[in-house]
Amino acid sequence: MTAAITGGAQAPAPTSKWDMARIGTAVAVLIGVLWGAQVLHATKGYGATASFSLLVGAALGVLFERGRFCFFCILRDWLEFRNSSGMFSILTALAVGSVGYAVVLETFLPNPTSGRLPPDAHIGPVSWVLVAAGAAFGLGMALSGACLSGHFYRLGQGYSRAPLALGGALVGFGLGFMTWQTLYVDTLSKAPVAWLPATLGYNGALLLTLGLLGGLALLLWRDLPAFAAREAWQLTPKTLYDLLFVQRWHPLVTGALVGLVGVFAYLRVEPLGVTAQWGSLSRTLLAQTGILEGRLAGLDAFAGCATRVSNAIMDNGWLVLGLVLAAWAMALLGNRFQWSRLTLKNSSTALIGGVLMGWGAMTALGCTVGTLLSGISAFAVSGWLFALAMLGGVWLGIRLKLHTVE
Amino acid sequence: MKHRLFVILLVLFASLVTLLSFAYAEGEALPESAVVSADWLEANLDNPNVRVIEVSVIPGVFERGHIRGAVNFVWHTDLVDTVVRDIVSAERFQELVRAAGINQDTTVILYGDNNNWFAAWGAWIFDIYGATDVRLLDGGRAKWEADGRELSTRTVSYPEGNFTVVNTRPELRARLADVLAVVNGEREADLIDIRSAAEYEGTIFAPQGFQELSIRAGHIPGAVNVPWGRAVREDGTFKSVAELRELYASVGVDGSKPVITYCRIGERASHTWFVLHRILGYEAAMYDGSWTEWGNTVGVPIVNPAGTIWGAQ
Repeated sequence: MTAAITGGAQAPAPTSKWDMARIGTAVAVLIGVLWGAQVLHATKGYGATASFSLLVGAALGVLFERGRFCFFCILRDWLEFRNSSGMFSILTALAVGSVGYAVVLETFLPNPTSGRLPPDAHIGPVSWVLVAAGAAFGLGMALSGACLSGHFYRLGQGYSRAPLALGGALVGFGLGFMTWQTLYVDTLSKAPVAWLPATLGYNGALLLTLGLLGGLALLLWRDLPAFAAREAWQLTPKTLYDLLFVQRWHPLVTGALVGLVGVFAYLRVEPLGVTAQWGSLSRTLLAQTGILEGRLAGLDAFAGCATRVSNAIMDNGWLVLGLVLAAWAMALLGNRFQWSRLTLKNSSTALIGGVLMGWGAMTALGCTVGTLLSGISAFAVSGWLFALAMLGGVWLGIRLKLHTVE
Repeated sequence: MKHRLFVILLVLFASLVTLLSFAYAEGEALPESAVVSADWLEANLDNPNVRVIEVSVIPGVFERGHIRGAVNFVWHTDLVDTVVRDIVSAERFQELVRAAGINQDTTVILYGDNNNWFAAWGAWIFDIYGATDVRLLDGGRAKWEADGRELSTRTVSYPEGNFTVVNTRPELRARLADVLAVVNGEREADLIDIRSAAEYEGTIFAPQGFQELSIRAGHIPGAVNVPWGRAVREDGTFKSVAELRELYASVGVDGSKPVITYCRIGERASHTWFVLHRILGYEAAMYDGSWTEWGNTVGVPIVNPAGTIWGAQ
């Protein structure tokens, strides 16, 4: 498994026509994203938040692709191959994220015990519904081969199952909207929206979060692989290119940067999430065909990857676009773009997994990024519960060998 | 011949007077006691006797950058009673205002997103509770941002102020009974419905996406329709005094009678109330029960030109 950590093939020197084409395309895409951010900034109706979201998305695309920050791949490495190095990526992201959130939250809501919640932080209701949603999401990850953010970035690597899983998620979101009313009235409306700083203060909440993450790190310690011996080497343009675009980024570096990007996103626009736009697309389609009512009781009162009926591209839409494009550019630069093989079997599992993830993400008000990453960083109990339930779902999926369907 | 010359002179004189008065009215600045410009505010940010309050609708807007030194008031928890449908009580309001470091003689400048709707709502509540120097930032948050002016994310706290609720002005608020008296001809007032034409006509119940609805669509009998947005320019700043006077005079509202404004829940109507009462100096009250009370009340008369009945014609 050391190959998975240090990266695959050697850096190919850009010589052939294909190399020139892929590197040229990547550079053009990256320039396009920067130029797009510039244009958005000056466009009426979009402005600074849309522009910043596109760039945040691009940063995530780079980090996810280069650091292989794919929740399912990381969990699979650990559960199946007993390699926990990727898990340290997630733990680092959460640790850095929670320190940064504490800094930001202290100015957003100086008194955490006032009974108010910080504006739009992803703090959701804690109930069995969240457990069911997390478990369904985890199972969907195993079936389809990645979580929703994973599919978005692997789209850029030519992962053919990604569009199927994302399409399935649209259907899943629709099912989520249809079950929402019952779940809301019976359970979610009465469920506590538990936020650690409300009882522990910011320092207590941060200490508890870092303590839990540290405890998990201790548990995962023994599954860390041995580092491969490395010969003396020199930094040259070629080795730099190799380090940046070919070899997998170090898990701790990736995690720390993901955590930082999350903090910047919360400070400037909204907490990170990848499902608000996708879910809104589903909701809008259903509303326009008259299948779904325009209003969903109570949904707008919760913070999370909120969906709405809208034909406009939301900030979150720009983020997802930036993520897909930047991941694609990175895959081209590192020569990792390759269409994966589709079969009837693995297409169906991708689709079904997508439906499960869509339902889970709608019902949990977010996915691995929105509810887990942004939630735990913001000291939401819902983030931890979702993480646990999702882990259970992934574990079950791997036990049942759902992820190995060819 | 002499007679003709006299007439010509008279006509010339009259046109001169008209022109002059028109020019004067065009140049008549918005009263600084009601509206301040962004330049004025920027120059007075460090004035200890000026306190800036943001009242925005979208959560997180204040926190991600506000005018330096501003204090955040949340309209749906700070400025209303969260259980009874009512404005915030005098005691809680006094507490809130004192915590923002406001004294009896402090100049309070309100601003917010959504074209100052809830900032104007805040100004209305300040006035009801007897505040004497409350003004709006012209153009609100959008104009301040569009100008590229400084924003801050730092929180500030001020020593408790001594503001006390005295000389309340309940006459600034119209109740259902007051409006009903006008409709029944027992009381004289002009009614202005400031919602969109489609809401006024009864074609729709509320703008898309709003969940506070009514059982009936249409408007209060006798009300004229002047959508709130006609009082502002494209950049959100108020039109000139002369333009505003002309706007309302064109529908027969000239301040000779008291005016009552209403909308759906009382937010946009505060904006027009502010224009009529604070900028033009008319006697005006705001009916904050608005259409969600009137259109839901059993037995009150309505006018529904579109004939809409819960979505069906």
